[in-house]
This record gives sequence, C-alpha cells and structure tokens, in this order.
Amino acid sequence: MFERALNVFWIVSGAASAAYAWSLGMVGPAGPESGLFPFIASVIVSGAGIMLLLRPSGVALDFPRGGGLWRVLGVIAGLIVMAAGMPYLGFSVTSFITMIILLRAVDKSSWLSAFTLAFLSTASVFWLFGQMLGMALPRGPWGW
Amino acid sequence: MKWAGIAYALVIALLSTPAGAQSDPKAELAKLKPKDFPTQPIEFTVVYPAGGGMDVSARLLAKHVENLSGDRIIVNNRTGGAGMVGHSYLATQAKPDGYTVGVIASLLWGDAMLRAQGRWAYTDLEPIAYVNSDALIWVGSTEGPYKGMSIKDIVNAAKEKPNTIRVAIVPGSMWEYILDQIEANSGAKFLRVPFQGGGAGIGALIGGNVDVAQGFFSEFRGYLEGGKVAPLAVAAGGRMDFLKDMPTFNEAFGSNEYLWQLVRYAVVPKGTPADRKAYLAAVVQAAMKDPELVAEYRKQGVFFDPKLQNSKDLAADLNAYADVERQFYVKTGRLK
Amino acid sequence: MEALNGLLTGFGVILTASNLYLCFLGSLIGTLVGVLPGVGPLAALALLLPVTFTLSPVGGLVMLASIFYGAMYGGSTTSILLNIPGEAASVVTCFDGHQMARQGRAGPALGIAAIGSFIAGTLGVIIMTFFAPAIAAVAIRFGPPENFALMVLGLVCTLFMISGSTIKGVLMMALGCLTAAVGLDVVNGRERYTFGSVDLSGGVELLAVVIGLFGIAEILSNVETMAKTTLLADRIRGLWPSLADWRASWRPILRGSGLGFLLGLVPGGGPVTAAFMSYALEKRIAAQPERFGKGAIEGVAGPESANNSAVAGSLIPVLSLGIPSNPVTALLLGALIIQGIQPGPLFIAQRPDLFWGVVASMYIGNVFLLLLNLPLIGLWVQFLRIPYRVMFPVVLLLCVVGTYSANKNVFDLWVMLGFGVGGYVLRKLEYDLAPFVIAFVLAPLLEQSLRQSLVMSPDGAMILIKRPVAAVLLAASAVLTYLMFRRRTKNEGGLP
Repeated sequence: MFERALNVFWIVSGAASAAYAWSLGMVGPAGPESGLFPFIASVIVSGAGIMLLLRPSGVALDFPRGGGLWRVLGVIAGLIVMAAGMPYLGFSVTSFITMIILLRAVDKSSWLSAFTLAFLSTASVFWLFGQMLGMALPRGPWGW
Repeated sequence: MKWAGIAYALVIALLSTPAGAQSDPKAELAKLKPKDFPTQPIEFTVVYPAGGGMDVSARLLAKHVENLSGDRIIVNNRTGGAGMVGHSYLATQAKPDGYTVGVIASLLWGDAMLRAQGRWAYTDLEPIAYVNSDALIWVGSTEGPYKGMSIKDIVNAAKEKPNTIRVAIVPGSMWEYILDQIEANSGAKFLRVPFQGGGAGIGALIGGNVDVAQGFFSEFRGYLEGGKVAPLAVAAGGRMDFLKDMPTFNEAFGSNEYLWQLVRYAVVPKGTPADRKAYLAAVVQAAMKDPELVAEYRKQGVFFDPKLQNSKDLAADLNAYADVERQFYVKTGRLK
Repeated sequence: MEALNGLLTGFGVILTASNLYLCFLGSLIGTLVGVLPGVGPLAALALLLPVTFTLSPVGGLVMLASIFYGAMYGGSTTSILLNIPGEAASVVTCFDGHQMARQGRAGPALGIAAIGSFIAGTLGVIIMTFFAPAIAAVAIRFGPPENFALMVLGLVCTLFMISGSTIKGVLMMALGCLTAAVGLDVVNGRERYTFGSVDLSGGVELLAVVIGLFGIAEILSNVETMAKTTLLADRIRGLWPSLADWRASWRPILRGSGLGFLLGLVPGGGPVTAAFMSYALEKRIAAQPERFGKGAIEGVAGPESANNSAVAGSLIPVLSLGIPSNPVTALLLGALIIQGIQPGPLFIAQRPDLFWGVVASMYIGNVFLLLLNLPLIGLWVQFLRIPYRVMFPVVLLLCVVGTYSANKNVFDLWVMLGFGVGGYVLRKLEYDLAPFVIAFVLAPLLEQSLRQSLVMSPDGAMILIKRPVAAVLLAASAVLTYLMFRRRTKNEGGLP
C-alpha cells in the first residue's frame, strides 16, 4: 500500500516538476536553457514511477511498531526541536533539551543519567567546535 | 542616547584630525569602549567562501582589529547563492547587538535591487568603515589570434566578426553588465562563456578555452609576471598604480559609464546601539589606518578609493555609487 | 635530474625542526578535522589561515597542505565507524566501509584505508616530483568539452553501480540530478526550483544531504531495532587486513591512485569526484559487483586511495600555474597571496624553495600520517564498544554541528532532517541511495560544462567530437552503455 502511494507520489511530483521545468525554457539560442536538464530528470522520475507502479516489487514496508516507532519518532522530534529552537535559544540550550528528549524517549534513561550525559556531551561538543575550532555556533539571548 | 551622540562625534574628531592619528590609538579606543561591550567574540560575517578576495580582506582586517582592540574576532563564512544567503541573513536575521559585523562587497547592491524582491534593502545595513576596492580588469592572452591587440582592436574584431570572440563571464553580475554596455555602445557581439568565478575564467584563458577573461588584479598577477596574459583595460575611474600602462575603459572609448568596481566595506545591521556602532566603527577605521594592514592589502593587489577613504559621510557616498548602479539597472530594463 | 636536485633542495628546506613540527601539526589537525563530521579541510584551512600570517611562507604552506591531505586520512574513520562521512570525499567509504564494520571488520577497513591513503599519497607526490610542470601544461588545456565528456563517463559508470532494482536506481539518479538543479543556474544566474526561498537560492547543501541520508537514516534504523542490535564490538574480528584483503585491494589501490591523481588535476575535480569515480570504476570491473554495498573491501581501498592522490594532483595546477581546481586549493592560493607570493607559470623557477619544500614535506607528511593513523585503529575500534544508547545522542549532535558548520545556516538542519527521514523510508523500500548522491555531485558539473561548451563553440555540438580527449571519453561512455544493456538483457531477459 505504502509503496503504491510512493510510486504515485513519484509520478505526480515528476510531472509537476516537468511542468515547472518547461516553464523555465527548454532550448535557447546558445544550447540548453535552465529547464532542459531538470525536465529530462523529471520525466525519468515520472517514467520510473509508472514502471514501478506497473510492476510492484512486492517489498512490504516493515513499518516500525510499538517501542521502535516511539524511538524513531523520539529522534525525529528531537531533531525538530533542535532545528526550530536553535535560532532562538542558541546552540547549547537547544542541544541540551534535545539530548534530554532523546535520552528519555529512546533510552528511557533515568533523569539523573540523562542530565549528566546531556550536559557532558553538549559541553564537550561546544568546547571542541565553539572554542577549539572557533566556530560561531548560534547564541541564545543570554549570549552563549 | 545623548552620550552616544557625543561618542560618535568623538570618533569623527579622532579620525579627521591628524593629531588623532599621532596619539595612541589604543588609548583613544579605550575611551570609546562601551562598558558592557564586548563580552563575547565579535563575528565578522563574510558572504563568500573562504580563500577568495573578500575572505582574505576580512581575515586580514580581523587580525588587525583583534590586535588593536584586544577583542576576540571570529570570521564566519555564511555562503550560498552567490552571496545572496549571507546578505539576506545580515539584513534580516542577524541580531543588531554589535556582535555581528558584515565585511561585505558592493555586490550587495545588485542583490538588494534585483534579487531580494523587496524582502530587504541595502539600507538595512549601515556602513561603518571603508575597507578597499578592486576594479574589474579585462585581460587577453599572449598567444593565439588576438595577441597584441588593444581593447579597441578586440571590440572592433567582435564587431566585424560577431560571435567569434569568447569572453569569460560570471552570470548575473558586473562581469556580464560591462559586456552589455560594450555591446550596446559599439554594436559588437561576444560569446559569453559562463564560469562560477573570476579565477575559473582566467584559468580558461590560460588554457585557450576563452579569448578574453575578466578579473581582479590579484587573480592574474602571477600570469602577468609569467608573460601569459596581457592586461587590456580597467573599469575604474583612473589608471591603476600597479599597471600604469593599462588604459581605463573610459579612456579607450571616450566614455564615463564604464565603472565596475568592487567596494569592500564593513557594516552593522540597522538598529545596532549607537555606542556599540561608534566603537566598532572607530576600531575598524583605526585598523585601516595601520600602515601594516595597508601594506598587506597592497600586496594583495587591491586599491583604495580616495573618495571613500576620506569620506565624511560614508553612507551617503556609498549610496551615490549604488544609485549609479540603480540607474544602469533601470536603463537596461532589469529594474522597473 | 633536475627533479632530484629540486627534491634535494626541498628536503634541505624542510628538514628543520620548525618545519617538521608544522608538518606534523598539520597532519594531526588534518586527521582531527577529517574525523569530525562536517568540519572538512576547507573549514580548517580557513580557520588556520590567520595563523599562517605569522609563519614563514614555507612553514605556512607546508602546514596547510598537510591539513588538506591529513583530512583525507581522517575522513574514512567516521564513515567506517558511524556511517557519517567525516568529510565529503569520504562519502563513498560509508557504502562498504560501514558494512565492514557491522561485520566486525572495522579494523581491516580502517587499516586498508590508511595504508591505501599512504600508498596513493606517496605515488601522487612521486608523480608530482617528476612531472609537475609538464602535467600542468596539459591539464590547463582541459576545458568544458573535456569536462562534459568526463562527467558523462562518470554517470554511465554510476549506472553500473546500481545494486538491486535498475528502475529504482535510475529513479534515484534522476532525483539526484533534480535536487542538484535547485538554486542558481550557474550559466545564466537565474534562480530555479527555489520558489522564492532565500535559503534554497544557494542550492541544497551536499553535507546536509549526505549526513541526512547516511548519518540520520542510519540512526533512525538503529534506534528502531535497538532491542535487537547486539554490540558491534562483539563481532570484532582481527585488527589488520588479512592476506585475502591484500589480494583484493592492491589493484584498487593502484587504480584509485592513478584515477584520483588525474581527477585532481581537472578543473572542478578534486578528492570528492575522485572518490566517487573510483568507487564506480571498482564496481564496474569487479568480478562480483553485487558484493559492493555489502562490505567489499575494494569499495574502501579504491576511493580512499583516490581521494589522497587527488590531493597531490590538485596541488599541481595551483602550485605550478596558480590555478586552483577546487575550493581548498583556492584557499591555499589565498594563503600564498597573503604572504605576498603569487604562484604563476614562473613559480617553480622563482621560488624553488617553496615548491620543492612543499613536495618534500608531502613525503614526510604521508609517513607521519601513517604512523599517526595505524596505532589509532585499535583505539577507534574500541569506540564501537560504547553502548549504542549512549553513543547515538552524541553522534546525532555531531551530525547537527557538522551540517550547520557548512554554511552556518539553520535551514540546512531541516534539509538534513528531511533527507534523513526520506532516506530511512527509502532504504526500507530497498532503494539504493548511492546513485542519488553521485548524480547530485556530478550533475551540476555535467550541465554546466555542456552549456559552456555549446556557448563557446562556433559549430554547436561538434565541439564535443572535434576535441580528441572529449571524443575518446564520449566513445568510451557509449561502449560502456552498450555493454551494460547487453549484459542486462542477456542476464535478465529485459529490464527488471
């Protein structure tokens, strides 16, 4: 079922992309225009989608279940928090929060070990990249 | 904000009187330094990749500012979209807290006028100090059918046999605009071979894959010394100190519109507190007075625009340059 | 004999305590930035550029060069152990290197990577010693038509690389090309597929894509089955490559060295393209191509050698002509310019101390790196003993910092997350992700060089046939394509 949906997705997005590429122009006075290469690639995506739909490979998506599902969602949630929070809270605070989420959701660590590990890893990454390598990691309103 | 105004007046006084240059710059800077600033490293944002002319200029500047002020400076390359990503970041996202200083080039104007689509304007960034300038120079090869030709010969050749002379360009930028002007004024037609930067075009010239390349002095100086390239003309207001024999485009064509130069300067985002802005301006300007830095810039092959160097109102002078560019865009229908 | 005299001069320059120390320091820093995901040689060189202002020109250049090739040694470590590319040129090492680690063969994988790197690096610098000026004169003629033909050959080889379903592989390649089209069209400066987004105008960042597809997707599949995973360390077998490993690897190492060197010379080429092309080549000529992606040691030996000799190759145009062929060498050029030295055609004649000093330092630096990396293997393998539940949050954090460091743009984190989730799902559906990444790297070069060729040509596409090198490469691509279709139709009675 899922695979079928994905194949339909390939066909539709390939077609949409081909239409967009067409609007960029195909061939100009000096050879291919901006649209030609993306157009060819889009047509291939759509075509391959159609072929896959006609000849399903029969791979069943082994959808994560139970604990596995929660752990996968936990990691994704952690990354969302990271990407969404970083511009506002800065690197250190956001990654600390993310680590807590990850350790609690995935590992079911105790609060104490989660805090310790989150603190240690955030601090060491911050030290290594921010201080040693002089990389400007995003800062929070409090300046770090 | 009154004291901030006084502080700003002080900077002006400091930099315009010769006495200011003689007294110890560090002591003068210490007077200007706000009490609560800086408490963390100051970030010099460069919107082009590491190693290019802009990056090298910024890193040299950072080193001297660091020595002079004792503040820690981090140079940060926010790259992508030929500068567009970094310019947008500076104009819209960077916090105006004095910890972000943009060391940018005048390509900002083109991005703001043509590509920002009204999301930001170049006036969202306030100039604090002029750094240096580079002018676009056309170079030809010392081999092949066009050797020994002057810029006029080459344009004439492109007029007689249109679409035969291959010129390296960087699309959507002054490398292309100058060709527009030449073609419009002379009726010549060139083949425009696109490259991702000036240096790549020079490489293609040496390899015989294009006939004319455009670039800054530092990009081709080695080949000039090695006798591989011949400078044709420079798109600046006057001849270059280091290439006295090379005419300007304006001299060669009796015009005044061929002015394509890169002005590098430092900015802070609009809204940066006046005292911090004044301090940063003073620090950068004092660093620019350091003969050692000036010598390092000269080694790099850049030049200093006297008008901007002695400017009383940098923002206004830069805006005047930007307006010339705007007129070009309007005239060529790029900007409505 | 001129070369030997030059080399003697070079060793005379380099064999001082301070220059040797700088060479060692550079090797060490290079290894470190190679190991850390995201922070590649480019970032490290940029950060250390100001330090070189205070050094002598020879010392500064020696240090920067050793960081560059040192990173090629270190990059494989993260790829093999964590399935996160330590730097872009080690992406392909993930494909088979990490599989080897899962089979308990992390030691041999790391060993062959280090030794292959050493052999390739040394061979590269030997060629550089004797032929630099002559090679530079030829390499500079390599223009857009030749580049186009080379990229076509690369993509054709990628077709061979597809494992599993051909249709899915081709789909992934097309998708890679399409993803690479996002951003500014380099030919006319127009935005495409950006939909008004400033963040997309810079294109999709390679590091965000590969860290997402490999690092994040790997973490997601691992946490899903966490209960089931036993420690990788339980299965550690042997720290050193066995005799069989050597027999399988020596040819790929030599081929990788040659191929990498050539690709380093080419404008726009460099370690990244070299590694991809070498992987494609090894898979193409392997007796059992189906072993690739499942822990074939050739898939580690070839690319890891190629990226090292590509460093030597890419130093030739920049040092003997002043023409950088990739961003890292552009930065080296910047460092020289800061010192007031402008490499050009006269560089070797004018500054023999500098040119030969760097060449000599590369012999020594490669030895340093081997001595530095071999003893570390035992230590790296011990990392696998850390329980995964403790390790994965740290790995995730490294993915985030690595991705962010490329452009300092938080948007790239969303890209990484998107590709991570996408890669996780596609892997479950048995899609091969390698063709995606290779097409993503090669497609922009292909498109740009074709359009450059057509613009500069007075008689259209004829330019691609009139230039001999381009014609030969295109002919080779055509033959390979024909062979592939014949093989597929013979083996499978039609496309699967």
